[in-house]
Amino acid sequence: MIQTKNLTKRYGKFTAVDTVNLNIPAGEIYGFLGPNGAGKTSTIMMLLGIVKPTAGEIRLFDEPYSPKRLDLRRRIGVVPEKHPVGMWTWMTAREYLQMFAELFSLQEANKRIDHLMERVGLADVKDKKFSEFSRGMLQKLSIVRALLHDPDILFLDEPISGLDPFGVKQVRDLILEENREGRTIFISSHILSEMEKVCQRVAIIFGGKLMAEDAMGSLLNTLAKDREIHVDLEELPADLAAKVKSLDFVQDAAGEEKTLIVKVPKTGDYRKALSKYLIDQDLVPLSIHEKSLSLEEAFVTINKENINLFAGIGGEK
Amino acid sequence: MNQRAHATTVLAKRRIFETLISPGYYIAQTIGLVLAYLLVAGFVRAIDSSGFNYSLNPAYELIGRSLVGAFGATFVEKLFSEGPFLFTLYIAFLPVLLYLAVSSVFRFGLEKKVGALELLTYGPADGTSYFLAALIKDILMTAIYLVVLLVFLLIAGIANNLILGPSFYYSLIILFFLSITIYAYGIFASSLTDNSASAIAVFLGLLLFFIIIVMGSFTVVSGYVRNLTSVFAWIIKWISPLFYWDLALRVVEVGNWGMYFTGIALLLVLSAVVLFISHLTIKARGVRS
Repeated sequence: MIQTKNLTKRYGKFTAVDTVNLNIPAGEIYGFLGPNGAGKTSTIMMLLGIVKPTAGEIRLFDEPYSPKRLDLRRRIGVVPEKHPVGMWTWMTAREYLQMFAELFSLQEANKRIDHLMERVGLADVKDKKFSEFSRGMLQKLSIVRALLHDPDILFLDEPISGLDPFGVKQVRDLILEENREGRTIFISSHILSEMEKVCQRVAIIFGGKLMAEDAMGSLLNTLAKDREIHVDLEELPADLAAKVKSLDFVQDAAGEEKTLIVKVPKTGDYRKALSKYLIDQDLVPLSIHEKSLSLEEAFVTINKENINLFAGIGGEK
Repeated sequence: MNQRAHATTVLAKRRIFETLISPGYYIAQTIGLVLAYLLVAGFVRAIDSSGFNYSLNPAYELIGRSLVGAFGATFVEKLFSEGPFLFTLYIAFLPVLLYLAVSSVFRFGLEKKVGALELLTYGPADGTSYFLAALIKDILMTAIYLVVLLVFLLIAGIANNLILGPSFYYSLIILFFLSITIYAYGIFASSLTDNSASAIAVFLGLLLFFIIIVMGSFTVVSGYVRNLTSVFAWIIKWISPLFYWDLALRVVEVGNWGMYFTGIALLLVLSAVVLFISHLTIKARGVRS
């Protein structure tokens, strides 16, 4: 659906995007992560045809893509990070959406507008001037505008920034629902906890290079240095942590109230062996679970010093 | 209809509606018409037994002296040879011309800066359809105002027993085409710059430059300005819309209609060239500020 080959953007001597190769299949929710200045926006702008690549190739819908391809641009919906403020202030939300519906020559535009406004919870304000909308309402209006023409790909740049928790849930549900209907969704966001909830695959860009790209679970597993098993016990004997440390597969162990925290290597599943050992010690494990690395934790493990260690995790070599 | 033409039509409709519901256009028209009224009334008061004598009216005296100083006595004689209407036409047209041109340049820069232009180009519109829509709006609003001004001056003529001479009508037509080229230069200035302030500065700078060049072709008092502008004029007069305006008005006086229409055609060609360069500039620079 979205493919890039050696996509590069240089501004003078500065390389903002360096030979990035993406291959995003249809129907996927794809997260695009990176710190500020990593090359995220430049990559997205090239994919949208707003910025011309210095080198490389972009293919959308299996066809070569360039800004001239207005026909392909019709199949893309875009939610920018910020809705333009101070423009079209005389329009109501409906008139604003009608303008875009007309640009896309949509049939039965009002029906579609009503349906989408209902879905994002803006049905009551659709005939109000959108210049009076809050940031969150503008963000939802922006999503409605992007979905108006039923695009095959939806690009979302920081889609939940400025939204209250209820708004975040509405947008998250909308993204998941749109994806269930077969839409490919490309999200760029700093709110990693949300990315973790919705994305099936993520890519991490750093210094213009694609450093890692994988399915969410595999990526987290790869980036994790070790794993922690948490065991809740009826009682936690004082010497248990020291005894557990002596086991072959245990790297470290500690007790916290009635929970035993055991660090194990990231390869292999040691829960069964640990349970068996505890039962042999006449202890009753109430629950045993593995604490997984969050995307946020994984993301902060990548920095300038260790970036080369992560290079090649499904991304660039 | 291809996608760019469709997008241009949709955007132009919005821009026209927006102009019609905002006060700016009406304020500029009112200023133009008030100036027209004052100039016609002042002219009538400056007529004595020997005809029009601008020294009889303090305002006209000031205007007359300034114009003689800048363009020479022959120019001023021609300007008032058919009564007040030719001069009034130019003066009353200026507020609307400047309002439309500067507001479009300002708007282009603002929409680029806040990302509105980028938002439009996410869909089937592009930078070119955006500026063509603005141009269509400006052309239509100019035509409406010229008709309003014509009716106003016809009524003023009848009320004061004066007639609108042939030079008035030639100038009215050429002013319309001249304004198209000026709007095209506004788009060009916008395409070169990243924000409203610099776009307006470039646009006004270009206008001033063209005025200085055309002044060089008249008999001006200052030899320094004449020498300076004549050098510029020879080199770059071809890019100035005022050159073609001056050419058309000079030839029509001697009844050369062919050259008059050639002047209009050249204004249109110049507009097309400037718009094409703007199109290329937007393509190269993009729609992001």
